[in-house]
Amino acid sequence: MTGGIGPVEPGEDTYLRNVTGRAGPGGRTAPSRTRHRRTVRAAGAALLLLAASGSLRADRAREPAEAPPPYPSQAVTLAYLDAAPGPGGARGGGFSFAVRLSVRSGPPVTVTRIAQPSAGLSVASSPAAPFQTKPHSDSKIIVTLRVTECDKAPRNPGFPFLDVTLRNTRAIQTHSFILGSRYARQLSQALQVACGNDSR
Amino acid sequence: MRQRSLIAITAALAAGALTLTACGSRDDDGGSDSGNGGGTTVVIGVDAPLTGDLSALGLGIKNSVDLAAKTANKDNYVDGVKFEIQALDDQGQPSVGQQNATKLVANEDVLGVVGPLNSSVGESMQKVFDTAKLVEVSPANTNPALTQGVDWQTKQVRPYKSYFRTATTDAIQGPFAAQYVFNDSKKKKVFVIDDKKTYGAGLAATFTEEFKKLGGQVVGTEHINPDTKDFNAVATKVKNSGADVVYYGGEYPQAGPLSKQIKAAGAKIPVVGGDGIYSADFIKLAGATGNGDLATSVGAPVEELPSAKEFVANYKAAGYKEAYEAYGGYSYDSGWAIIEAVKKVVEDNDGKLPDDARAKVTEAMQNVSFDGVTGKVSFDEFGDATNKQLTVYAVENGAWKSVKSGTYTG
Amino acid sequence: MNELPQQLVNGLLLGSMYGLIAIGYTMVYGIVQLINFAHGEIFMTGAFGALTVYIYILPDGTSMLIALPLMLMGAMVVSVAVAVGAERFAYRPLRGAPRLAPLITAIGLSLALQQAVWAWYPHAKSARTFPQIDGGPFHIGSVTLQTGDVFLLIAAPVSMAILAYFVMRTRTGRGMQATAQDPDTAKLMGVNTDRIIVVAFALGAVFAAVGAVANGLKYGQIDFKMGFILGLKAFTAAVLGGIGNIYGAMIGGVVLGIAETLATAYIADIPGLDKFGSQSWADVWAFILLILVLLFRPQGLLGERVADRA
Repeated sequence: MTGGIGPVEPGEDTYLRNVTGRAGPGGRTAPSRTRHRRTVRAAGAALLLLAASGSLRADRAREPAEAPPPYPSQAVTLAYLDAAPGPGGARGGGFSFAVRLSVRSGPPVTVTRIAQPSAGLSVASSPAAPFQTKPHSDSKIIVTLRVTECDKAPRNPGFPFLDVTLRNTRAIQTHSFILGSRYARQLSQALQVACGNDSR
Repeated sequence: MRQRSLIAITAALAAGALTLTACGSRDDDGGSDSGNGGGTTVVIGVDAPLTGDLSALGLGIKNSVDLAAKTANKDNYVDGVKFEIQALDDQGQPSVGQQNATKLVANEDVLGVVGPLNSSVGESMQKVFDTAKLVEVSPANTNPALTQGVDWQTKQVRPYKSYFRTATTDAIQGPFAAQYVFNDSKKKKVFVIDDKKTYGAGLAATFTEEFKKLGGQVVGTEHINPDTKDFNAVATKVKNSGADVVYYGGEYPQAGPLSKQIKAAGAKIPVVGGDGIYSADFIKLAGATGNGDLATSVGAPVEELPSAKEFVANYKAAGYKEAYEAYGGYSYDSGWAIIEAVKKVVEDNDGKLPDDARAKVTEAMQNVSFDGVTGKVSFDEFGDATNKQLTVYAVENGAWKSVKSGTYTG
Repeated sequence: MNELPQQLVNGLLLGSMYGLIAIGYTMVYGIVQLINFAHGEIFMTGAFGALTVYIYILPDGTSMLIALPLMLMGAMVVSVAVAVGAERFAYRPLRGAPRLAPLITAIGLSLALQQAVWAWYPHAKSARTFPQIDGGPFHIGSVTLQTGDVFLLIAAPVSMAILAYFVMRTRTGRGMQATAQDPDTAKLMGVNTDRIIVVAFALGAVFAAVGAVANGLKYGQIDFKMGFILGLKAFTAAVLGGIGNIYGAMIGGVVLGIAETLATAYIADIPGLDKFGSQSWADVWAFILLILVLLFRPQGLLGERVADRA
């Protein structure tokens, strides 16, 4: 099949040089140069216009806003303190630890629920949710995790978190608090004790 | 004659190309002419991709820093000092970023730089700035190695004293996504894809590690070529892998088509990504089948922060053409952190800039603390933001909607 | 489930796209021995031409059935205008110049066209969405096809058939063959070679326009630099198939597309090669194939061996 329309690998003697020698010198250069110059000038003008419009940006006043109470997730911090003996001791594979809940700003916050996302663990807290905190206060909460199903519990989570549902006059929100590596370490130790050391 | 016509045309072409380039960067120094009546002028450098695929995010960064500078000027926040920005385009490329860094260092009025967007670009700029003791605050770099060294998983060592960031790192972002996908979305089989870039590969790795720890299964991995838009071969692999979720480490120009093609291949599973896909452009590119796709992004949702609302209003009032996008608030805060540091240095030196202003500003940056758009802004011993918040967003009816937020308090 | 049929179809589709663009490279090269590196951008402007017709000319909500032919025409008009303009104002003045001059011009033109679209086309700074044909997907056995794929599967062979007819049977087509073989003699025989060259550029642009519309329909988005990588791939396809040969362009495209797809899909399963199997390596494998082909057939798959002319 030789449907091709062209030679392959033509030599340097390829003819177009001769063919187009005819295309004529002179004549074209001048108008083509003006045309290009005109294009450049038009582009330059457009550029100037754009630059000018760019500099005319409005620069208006910043209006002080009337501050409504903050969202609860933005008003509260939760920090991991340490593993702690739970209310019922360490019975039943439970892992208890203390967290400090601080309300930094705004009205009092109600903790309506403390949970964690894994399907194999259950959560209890002391004081038991729901409970209310005072504004600008720190309170210590003891959280106890119990393994309900070892199959579904994570073995060695790197960034476990607590899902805490918070409510204040502004909104009700569920916020995740990632308690950091010390919590992660102590939790995985506890989980390994509870579920055996089989590696996964 | 012929020779001359050739020269003329080449010159015209070159001129045309230059004009166009100039046009592309026409507002490189936007806002610089906002009137400086006497006093010292401090330039805040901005480096971001202002053209190309990622320009949506990059222009948001530039405008937000511009807004910070203008706000400081208007309020006369630092007595006797006017702020200007000098924005350079890195096109998302490390080599260009490094040239820009050199350029910014060469301008003596530059006392701080905001940027860049891409972690890979950040990597290439760090040393240049550090040698010049010029402070750099990135609103968007999330790769942990930039602040904690390449061996950050085992031993954290800060490589450069002049590098800070307001964004939360992938060391938290990837695991946060893994937790959400495994526990809340209840997906157990993931197909992990990345674009092999510093940001994408790093994010995919932190996600994968945590997902496995939680008991999830990685049914396939793939690295795509970010230069192409045809991911059909990958999409077919995803479909046949039996995965129930895809994690993509990378940015929206690829993530959008990827999501679309995975769904077209017949795998009706969500695509999950990081802050690099949290852009309105992702939804545009992914099309109607993108509903249900997820992204984690740094920071709390804007509507939850009063300071952010004010920023949004001011941004709107300033009349920028482009949206502030995912990093607007962080960019404003990065710019403002530099302004705060300059203020401290000037006030400590009887209202004048000292001779070694750059080194002093870098020093002052370590102790900067203020209430910014994204919450409290301050830096830890590595130069990372102390405020570490993350939010999971889902695509719902063609818009990102926040579904869950978390705070790292470790 | 066996994914081979689907992967072959993926490759065929990708390859047809390469082939449609490769025709432009190969025709221009066949006639004037110029590698028109701006061809990828001619393809890109075609896509924006089609988008312009859909968004700015047709009323909202026009059925794709009516819109598609008009979009094709819009794409062709823009592509052909750009290609002919490039030929007239950038390449023709350089025809007597050393080979490097038009090559560099082509690269410059490629950049200039990209930047022009970036700067002046509305909202083209990031990708723009392209209208889609409703319906689908279609399932044939284990193969899934989208409506955009169907368009490409029909458009590519039909275009090839029309091109073959044009080149083999029409007067202009024969003039093209003559010019390709020997411009001097062709001119002596009364062939208007200047016109033939313009026709070659225009025809290449027409196929790029078809490819551009197919690309928009298939991927649902177009952007100002879509032509760059696709153009390079298409050029590779043209070389693989035997540059100068129009059938070779299509065959080369399909071979390249299937090679890339299969490399993505299967290399990782070969023991010891799992690190080299992802899509990011597909180009490497495709170019290894190219090198192998050129080692054994320097003229490309369908190229003819031409003895060195004195």
